[in-house]
Amino acid sequence: MSLLLVVALPFFGALLPGVMNSAGRAACAGVTFTVSLIAFIGLLTNLPTVLAGEVVTARVEWIPALGLNFTLMLDGLGFFFAFLILGIGLLIITYGRHYLSRDDNMGEFFTYLLLFQGAMVGIVLSDNVLLLLVFWELTSLSSFLLIGYWKHLPEGRQGARMALAVTGMGGLAMIGGMLILGQIVGSYDLSVILQNRALIQADPLYVPALILILLGCFTKSAQFPFHFWLPHAMAAPTPVSAYLHSATMVKAGIFLMARMWPVLSGTPEWFVIVTTAGLITMVLGAVIALFKHDLKALLAFSTVSHLGLITMLLGTGTAFGAMAAVFHILNHATFKAALFMSAGIVDHEAHTRDIRRLGGLRRLMPVTFGIATLAALSMAGIPFLNGFLSKEMMLEEATHTMLFGSEWLVPVLATVGSLFSAAYCFRFIGHTFLGPVRDDYPHKPHDPGAGMWVPPAILVTLVVVIGVAPFLVQDFVFLVAKAVIGDVAMLEVKYIKIWHGLVPALYMSIIAVVGGLALMLIYKPLLKVWETTPRPEAKVIFEAIVEAAARMAQSIIHPLHNGSFTRYAMIGLVAMIAAGYHAWTTGTVAEPVRELQAAGAVPIAGWGMLVAATAGLVLLHRNRLLALILIGIVGLMVSIGFVYLSAPDLAMTQFTVEVVTIILLLLALNFLPNQTPVESTVLRRIRDAAVAVAGGLATFALAYHYMLREAVTTPISEFHLANSYKGGGGTNVVNVILVDFRGFDTYGEIIVLGIAALLIYALTESLLNGPVRRRLLNRVPDQPRAGDMHPMMMVVLTRVIMPVVLLVGFYIFLRGHNEPGGGFIAGLIVSIAVVMQYMASGFAWTSARLRYPYHGVIGAGVLVAGFTGIGSWFVAQPFLTSAFTYVRIPPFDKFELATAALFDLGVFLAVVGAVMLSLESFSRLARRADMPDAEFPMDIDPSRSDPPPVQTAELKEGN
Amino acid sequence: MISSDLSIILPEIALAIFAMVALIVAVYTAKDKLAPMLTWLTAAVFVILAFWIGTGSDSTRVAFEGAFVDDGFARFAKVTILLSAAAVLVMSLDYLEKRDLLRFEYPLLIALAAVGMMVMVSAGDLMALYMGLELQSLSLYVVASLRRDSAKSTEAGLKYFVLGALSSGLLLYGASLTYGFAGTTLFAGIIEAAGNEPSLGLIFGLVFLISGFAFKVSAAPFHMWTPDVYEGSPTPVTAFFATAPKVAAMALFARVVHDAFGGNVGDWQQIVAFLAVVSMFLGAIAAIGQTNIKRLMAYSSIAHMGFALMGLAAGTAFGVQAMLIYMAIYVTMNIGTFAFILSMERDGRPVTDIASLKMYSRSEPLKALAMLVLLFSLAGVPPMVGFFGKFYVLRAAYDAGLAWLAIAGVVASVIGAFYYLRIVYFMYFGETEEPLDGQMSPALWAALMVSAAVMVFGVVNLFGIEPLAAAAAETLVN
Repeated sequence: MSLLLVVALPFFGALLPGVMNSAGRAACAGVTFTVSLIAFIGLLTNLPTVLAGEVVTARVEWIPALGLNFTLMLDGLGFFFAFLILGIGLLIITYGRHYLSRDDNMGEFFTYLLLFQGAMVGIVLSDNVLLLLVFWELTSLSSFLLIGYWKHLPEGRQGARMALAVTGMGGLAMIGGMLILGQIVGSYDLSVILQNRALIQADPLYVPALILILLGCFTKSAQFPFHFWLPHAMAAPTPVSAYLHSATMVKAGIFLMARMWPVLSGTPEWFVIVTTAGLITMVLGAVIALFKHDLKALLAFSTVSHLGLITMLLGTGTAFGAMAAVFHILNHATFKAALFMSAGIVDHEAHTRDIRRLGGLRRLMPVTFGIATLAALSMAGIPFLNGFLSKEMMLEEATHTMLFGSEWLVPVLATVGSLFSAAYCFRFIGHTFLGPVRDDYPHKPHDPGAGMWVPPAILVTLVVVIGVAPFLVQDFVFLVAKAVIGDVAMLEVKYIKIWHGLVPALYMSIIAVVGGLALMLIYKPLLKVWETTPRPEAKVIFEAIVEAAARMAQSIIHPLHNGSFTRYAMIGLVAMIAAGYHAWTTGTVAEPVRELQAAGAVPIAGWGMLVAATAGLVLLHRNRLLALILIGIVGLMVSIGFVYLSAPDLAMTQFTVEVVTIILLLLALNFLPNQTPVESTVLRRIRDAAVAVAGGLATFALAYHYMLREAVTTPISEFHLANSYKGGGGTNVVNVILVDFRGFDTYGEIIVLGIAALLIYALTESLLNGPVRRRLLNRVPDQPRAGDMHPMMMVVLTRVIMPVVLLVGFYIFLRGHNEPGGGFIAGLIVSIAVVMQYMASGFAWTSARLRYPYHGVIGAGVLVAGFTGIGSWFVAQPFLTSAFTYVRIPPFDKFELATAALFDLGVFLAVVGAVMLSLESFSRLARRADMPDAEFPMDIDPSRSDPPPVQTAELKEGN
Repeated sequence: MISSDLSIILPEIALAIFAMVALIVAVYTAKDKLAPMLTWLTAAVFVILAFWIGTGSDSTRVAFEGAFVDDGFARFAKVTILLSAAAVLVMSLDYLEKRDLLRFEYPLLIALAAVGMMVMVSAGDLMALYMGLELQSLSLYVVASLRRDSAKSTEAGLKYFVLGALSSGLLLYGASLTYGFAGTTLFAGIIEAAGNEPSLGLIFGLVFLISGFAFKVSAAPFHMWTPDVYEGSPTPVTAFFATAPKVAAMALFARVVHDAFGGNVGDWQQIVAFLAVVSMFLGAIAAIGQTNIKRLMAYSSIAHMGFALMGLAAGTAFGVQAMLIYMAIYVTMNIGTFAFILSMERDGRPVTDIASLKMYSRSEPLKALAMLVLLFSLAGVPPMVGFFGKFYVLRAAYDAGLAWLAIAGVVASVIGAFYYLRIVYFMYFGETEEPLDGQMSPALWAALMVSAAVMVFGVVNLFGIEPLAAAAAETLVN
C-alpha cells in the first residue's frame, strides 16, 4: 500500500468514530480498530521491500516555495517505529474499548486517538523535516486533547498545562533548528540532509541548530531538565498513558535523535549534551520512581528513566550504542505498554492506583499478576526476558564510554540507574501483588474480561519470546540499526546473545539486581529518609518559573506601560533621537560647503531674548498669566526672526496669528485657576529636562548640519522667483504661490478652515445645550474678579482704533500681491479689530450690534474664491487660471487688476469669518449665570448715573 | 490623460463618494436608525470593491504621473484590507447594537479609513502617501473614542491622536528631508536620486519615515499607544485596529523602502531588523503577564508585526512575499480571535478577563476547539496555517543572511507560545468560576468558525495565496 495512504488513513479514519458516536461503543471501537488494522496491513505490505534494504518513498508537492513537500520514506527505522505505533495502537484500541466507562464519550476519544496515531506515523515516515515538524506539533495538539479527555479530574490540569507548554515550546524551538539545517544543506528533504554530515558539522551554525533540535527532542522525550512534565501528564486515561507516554509519543524525541544521528552525532557537543542529559535522566527517573506510590507515577518515572537510557546510548555516538538503543526501544515498548495496561487493570478493578492501599492481588487477579510480573522482571533486567538483553548491551556500552575525562563516571551511574530500576520493579511486583490479601480495597478486585488482559498478554508473550530467542529479532534489529547509522560507521556483526561470558556488564547487572533486592529490604527506612530530605519538586519549580516569568514580565512592562502619556511620548522621542543618531553615524557626512556666518550684536540679543523667554517659560510655567506673556514674547521674537531672515510675509502671518491665539488663550485662562498644580517629582522633571535637552540638541545638530550644506541642486525658489511676476502678475512670491501657483491648495484650506470654525460652533452649541451648560453657568471662579470688567479706557481706545485697524487691513490686503501682505493676514488683522470690541465691551453688547452672521462671511469667502476659479472656465481655461491686466481710471495712477486679488478676497472673508466664529463660540462659554449681560458698552460711564450692575453682583459674591 | 488617471483610482473615488453620499443621506434622514443597514451596505461595498480590484487588470498602471500606482502589490494589500474591514464591520454590528454604540458614522468612518488605506498602499509619491495616511489616521482617531461616555475610550482616542500626531509630524519631517535632498516627492525620483550612496539628508529622511511607519504598524519602540488604545476602544474598533490598518501600514512600509529606497537596502535593513527584534521580544514578554485579553492581543499584535517586519528586513522579493502572506494569515487569525472576544460576555456585560475563560470547553466545546485552533495558529504551532506564515518570514530572513534574526525570531516565538497556550489551558482546564454566558450572533459564529477552518484547511495550499503574494512581491521588488 502506498505510504501516503498509510499516513492518511488514520486522519480520514478519525472522522468516523466521531460521527458514529450514536451507533454505540462497539461500533466506535470497531471502526477505529479496522482503520488501524488496514493501515497496519498496508505498512506490512511494504515489509519485503524494506527487508531487502530498499527505501520506499512517496512524494507529493505541497508548498515548494517553502521547501515543504509531502514526501514520505520508509526505511528500517521508519518501519520499526511505524510498526510499533500501529501494532501497539491496535492493542490499545482493544484495551481502551473495555477500559472506558459508559459515561465516557467514546467517539471523541477514538477520534483523538486516531488523530494522534496518524500524526505519529507521519513523524516516523516523513522524508521532509518540515513535514516532520508539522506532524510533530500535531502530536502535541492531539496529545493535549487526549490528556484533557477527562476534564473533570483536577490533577489532570497541571499536567496538561505542563505537557502542552513544554512540548509545544520545544517544538517551536525545533523549527529554528530545522530551518538552519535545511538552509545549510539547501534542501529540507531528510534523505538529502542525511547525506551531508560533513557540510552540516562544519557549519558555524551547527551548534545553534543542534541545541534547537535537541530542545525539541528533549522536551518531547522528557529528558532532563524537561523530564518533569511526563509524570504529571498521567492523569490521562490509562490507554492514553500506555500509548502516548510509554510506547509512542515520548519516543518521538528518541526517534528524531536516531533519525538525525548520522548528521548530528559524533561531535563533542552532541556527545556531551546528549549523553549527560540521558545519564542524569536515567538515574534521576529511577530514583524518583522508587518512591512513588501511584502505580502510574512509578511507571511514568520509570519511563523517564528508560528514555534517558536510550538517549544516553544514542549520545555515545558509536554504532553499537545505536544498535543497543534500537533494541531497547523495542523491548521498552513491549514491557512498558504491558505494565501500563496492567496498572490500568488494577486501577479499573480495585479503583485505586495507590500502592500503599494495594497488596496481595496475586491471589485475586492471577492473570494480571502473571502479565505484570513478567513485564516488570523484564524491566528489572532479569535473564530470559528481553529487558535483560538490551540492558546488558547498555552496560557494555557504558563501560566503553568516557565522559568528562572520567572512565568510571558512566559505568557507575549506569549501574546505579539499573540498581534503582531493579528496585522499583521489585517494589511494583512486591507491594502490589505479593503480600497478604487485604480487606480494605476500595473495590473488590478480580481479573477483568479478556478484552483487557489479552492486549498486555500479547506484549508479554513478545517479551518472553525475544528474551529466550533473541535470534528471532536480531536481523531486524540490525536492519533498523543500519538505517539509524547510515554510512557513518560500520556496525560490527555482534550477535545478540543471552550469555556473553563473564564480562564486566554481567557483574554490573548482578550488582544491579542484588542491590535492587537489598534496597527493597530496607525500603521503609529509605522511604522515611526520602520523605524527610528536602528536594526540588519539579512541579513547584515549574509553577515558580511560570509565576516568576509573569512577574518579571509585569515588572518590565508595567513601568513601561503605566498609562502615563508623558512616558509614552518620552519613549517615542528617545527612540526618534536614537534613530536620528543612527542615521548620523551610518550615513556619510559631507563636508560643509557654506561658510558659517558671523552673527551681529542685534540678532544675538534677539536670540538671547528668545532663549531667555523660553527658559523663563519653562521655569515659570506654573503661573499661567506669566506663561502667556512669555509665550507672547517667544512668538514676537520668532516673528522678528522671520523679518530678519527676509520672510516678511511669514513674519506678518506669525505676528497676527500670535495675537489671535493669545486672545484665545486669554479666554481660556478665564476658566482656569491661576496656578498650575505641581504634579511631578523633581527627579521626573530632571528626566524630562534631559530628554528635552537631548531633543533640542538633536534638532540643533540637524539644523546646523543643513545650514552649512546645499540641499538639492536647484531649489524650487528659483522657479518661483522667475515665474511669479510673469505668470502670476505679482512680485510677492509668497502671495502668488498662495493665490495662484497653489491656489487650489489654498482653496481647499479655506474650506477646511471654514469647516473647522463651523465645527467649533457646533460643538459649543451642543455643549451649551447639554448638561455642561449648568455647570458652566454656575461655576464660581477661584478668586473674585475685578469689578471693572469693561473699563472705559479700553472701550474708548478700541473704538478709536477700529477704523484705523480696518484701514490697515484694507491696505495690507491690497498690497498683498506685490508686497508683503495678502488676504490671509488682512483677514487676521480685521478679525483682531472686531475681537477687540468683544474684549472691551463684552460678548452680549457686541454681538447685539453685529449685523453679519459669521457663517455667511465664511460662505461668502468660499463662494467668492470658488467663482473666481470657475470664472476661468468661461475663457476656456482650467479651474483657477489667473489673469491680470493693468488699467488706468482717471484720476488714479495705472494699477493692476488681477483675478488673484479676487481670489484673495475670498481668502480674506473666509479667514475673518472663521476666526470670528470660533472666537465667538469660545467666548459664549465664558458667560456666567450670576453675571447679567452687559447693557452698556462700559461698566463705569461718567455720563451715566445708575450704579453698575456688575458691582452688585461682585459684592454679593464677596459676601 | 486625466480620465485615464481617474479610471485607475476609480475604486477609491467610488468608495469615497459612497461614504460621503451615505453620510449626507444619513444626516438628513433617520440617522442612527440607518446604522445597521449602512453597516451591511458598507461591508457589501467593501466586498464588491475587493472583487472588482481582485479580478480587474493584472498589469501595473500608474496614475497622476506616478503619484498613484496600481500594481499587483497594491491590489493584494487592498483586497486583504477591504475583506478584513468588511468582516470586522459585520462582526461589530451585534456588539455595538447591544451597547447602544452603533452610530451611523461608524461604518462611514471605517469606509473613509479604507479609502485612506487604499491610497496608502497605492502611493507612489510622498504626498499621496501622506494624504492616505492621514485620512486613515484621522478616521481611526475618531473611532477609537467612539464610546464618548467612557473615560477609557476617550483617553484611548486622545492618546492615539496625540502620539499619532507626533509620529505624523516625524514622518512629515522625514518626507520633507527626503524631498529636500532628492528634489522630488515621487518614489521613482527618490530611488534615482538616492542611488547607491545616498546623502546623509536622505538617510535622515528615510530614518524618520521609518519611525513614522513603525508607529503606524505599532512596532516597538514606537508601540506605546497600542495596549492602551486596544484596551480602551470598543472591542469592534480594537478588532479593526488589529487588522486592516496594520496591513495598510505594513504595505506602505514595504512600498516606501522598496520603491523609494530599494537601492539602499543596507541602510534600512538594520533598522527594520532592529524594530523586528525589539517588537517580537517586547510583544512576547509583555503578553505573559497580561490578564486582559484585549491588552494581550495588543502585545500579540506587536509581536506579530515584529515577525512581519522580519520578512521586510530581508530586503528581497521573497521577504516581501513572506510579509504579505504573514499579514494575510495574521489578519485572518485576528478576525477569528476577535469574533470570539466580541462574544465574551457575562450577564450581558462584556468580559475581557482571561481567567473568565476557565473551563470554557465544557460549556462550549466547539467554540473552544475553534479558539484552540486559532491560538495554536497565532502561536505558530504547526500544522496550523500560522506556522506557515512564521516559517515564510523566518526563511526570508535566513535566506537574506540574517540568521541571527531568524534565530531570535524562533526564540521569541517560543516565548510567545507560552501565553497563547495559557489561554488554551484555561479553556480546557482551570477551576470553574462563573462561566461566560454570551450567545454568539450568527455573524460572529461564522467568522470564528470560518477563520478556524481556514487555519486548518489552509495547510493544503494556503488557498492559493502563495503565487498571488509572489506575483505581488515581484511587482514591488524588481
